[in-house]
Amino acid sequence: MTLTADRPVRTAPPKKPRKGGRQGREALLLMLPALVPVLVFSVGPLLYGIFLAFTDARSGRNAVTSFVGLSNFGDLLSDGDFWASFRIGMIWAVSVTVLQFLASLGLALLLNQEMRFRGFARVLAMVPWAMPPVVIGLMWRLVYHPDAGILNSMLGTEVDWLNDFSIALPAVIVVGIWTGMPQTTVVLLAGLQGVPKELYEAVEVDGAGVWRRFWNITLPQLRPVIVAITSLDFVWNINQFGLVYVLTQGGPGGQTRLPMLFAYEEAFRYGFFGYAATLGVAIVIVVLAVLGVYLWRQMREAS
Amino acid sequence: MRMRVVLAAGLLVLAAGCGSESPAAAPGEPVKIKFQSLAWQKESIAANKQLVEEWNKANPKIQVEYIQGSWDNVNDQLVTSFEAGDPPDVIHDDSPALSGFANRGYLLDLTDKVPAELKSDIPQAAWDTVTFGDGKGGQGVYGVPFLQESQVIIGNKKLLDKAGVRIPTPDNPWTWDEFAEISKKLTKGDAYGVAWPMKSPVNKVLNLGLNFGGTFFQTDAAGKTTVKVGAEEREVLQRIHDQLHKDKSADPSALGMGSADPLPGFYAGKYAMLPVGVYLRQQVVEQAPDGFEWITLPPLKGATAEQGAVSQTLSVATDSKYPEQSLKFISFFLNGPNQVKLAKGDWLLPTSVKAAGDPAMTTEENGWNVATASVKNLVVAPFLKVNGFDEWKSKVATPALQQYFANKITLDETAKKLVDEGNKVLERYNK
Repeated sequence: MTLTADRPVRTAPPKKPRKGGRQGREALLLMLPALVPVLVFSVGPLLYGIFLAFTDARSGRNAVTSFVGLSNFGDLLSDGDFWASFRIGMIWAVSVTVLQFLASLGLALLLNQEMRFRGFARVLAMVPWAMPPVVIGLMWRLVYHPDAGILNSMLGTEVDWLNDFSIALPAVIVVGIWTGMPQTTVVLLAGLQGVPKELYEAVEVDGAGVWRRFWNITLPQLRPVIVAITSLDFVWNINQFGLVYVLTQGGPGGQTRLPMLFAYEEAFRYGFFGYAATLGVAIVIVVLAVLGVYLWRQMREAS
Repeated sequence: MRMRVVLAAGLLVLAAGCGSESPAAAPGEPVKIKFQSLAWQKESIAANKQLVEEWNKANPKIQVEYIQGSWDNVNDQLVTSFEAGDPPDVIHDDSPALSGFANRGYLLDLTDKVPAELKSDIPQAAWDTVTFGDGKGGQGVYGVPFLQESQVIIGNKKLLDKAGVRIPTPDNPWTWDEFAEISKKLTKGDAYGVAWPMKSPVNKVLNLGLNFGGTFFQTDAAGKTTVKVGAEEREVLQRIHDQLHKDKSADPSALGMGSADPLPGFYAGKYAMLPVGVYLRQQVVEQAPDGFEWITLPPLKGATAEQGAVSQTLSVATDSKYPEQSLKFISFFLNGPNQVKLAKGDWLLPTSVKAAGDPAMTTEENGWNVATASVKNLVVAPFLKVNGFDEWKSKVATPALQQYFANKITLDETAKKLVDEGNKVLERYNK
């Protein structure tokens, strides 16, 4: 009696994990070469950054770093300059992501049509992707140049686009949209090509017009692609640095000072490494929160 | 466990790779020092490179490598290279930047190291612009000042002659009141008497503020520095604002411009006068259309003609392995005759007394005599010594002054911003 009762209990449960453990270890060993660089170059600095956020680290040979707990986060909450910069960052990230999505969707639909030189047009649409942000920044600075810029000479205006308090941010947003369009277009175009033709044929039999076809077939079919690319775009945009640094350096008077620029200045201009790390951590938390809410809502609606 | 060992080993290799320093030169081998220059005008780069070449030829044992830096990003670049422990040995910068670096211990204190000959050739007023606290309660000299900038006025000679105004001399300069009257007189139709390019207004306003004794900062007995905007400080602010919005003798659309941007308008007769740094004469000489006659006018006088001095400097990094050799090179680079070459290249004023007496510096051609005479008005601006000035300038003062000159906020509001928000910024540095 005892034998029959004991056997399954004693043998079955430990067996599985042990086997899994050995497999896991082998898998780990195989992953090591890939894991080490990730740990050393990504996870390590990340953890170090989080650690710095709780210290008063400053630049300087005679600076003594000590642990200050949450006081950096307390300073952050009452730092009006940072929140002003954060507001600008949100305006920038949301408007660039949304407008970029709309423009790219239009472009993707266009490039998905049967038309002449389609291949050539598709290549052309990729051009901004091939340029590093710094080159894009320099190029657009020439476009926006008040005296020699092509924009003023085309419009016949005399606007100092990047130095005007109210125009600078919109002008930078336009560049942001332009820069990110290729990625978004490619992904949407791929999504469009994955929509089954039969669906269109079916609604055409029902006599649906272009708009109904788009609204009832294309959009719902693209939905997972749209959710993925807009969330990725949002993360890329809120972390944008190089482009704006080259275009305006955050000027005029801080009107285009994105949170990343703000953190950079805190660290490398004023030398408050600890506080700058706090800003980085805060931005990560906010991005995760915004993305979490957005993805959760999308998943709920989808299911 | 195994992973941890591998990780640790990896980190060790990395650390070893970063930590290994190039060994000091063996005896007999030439010492190599790096000299980072921020020269940007063509003539100035040529003068810098020529002097380095001359030195390298005469001193085979100490070879200098010329590195080209840029004013645009020098601060960030130096901070990162200081933190990484690999800065250039000889560093070109300007006095406002040195205060922060000295305070953080990045620069070598040169107090007892400057050779007597060089020391006596540069007046004490100039040495004062590079004397700062060392962050540990002491004082030190953290650079050798060599080029100074003063604010003068460049005028369109034909327009001034036509209006029949008195041409001022260094001994008898215009007062601010006279300047305001003359600006009004020169404003006719589309043409304005003056253009104030105020893209970077802070240093300009603070340096000119000394005309009326405006110091903008005060330090109490305990050594705590706060911002001060009283009657003296408001004088220059109010006067420039009046020209823009009351007399309408200054073009408001020039406000967003950088120093050199109003030049095309100046050549076209749109502005009769430009208050600018002396170095801008170079661009006028190079670009002005044929037959354009211009004149350099001496600095204005308020209660005094005193202005805040900003000097360009050469410093030695604390991390430099060859401080003595670096100083030897600096002493050569900044001797009297060489300062003349550098000053001519940059169109700035030499600190060297010998250089200032050189005929090239006192000729009437291109206003050198007026420019050189303005050196006697230069005094140490109090803001040079303020720890945290850079952050105050970019976060508080620049936006506040831009809004004030654009007539978006009143003088009282401006003063309140400069003081309240400013003291909050300085608080971080007083800790």
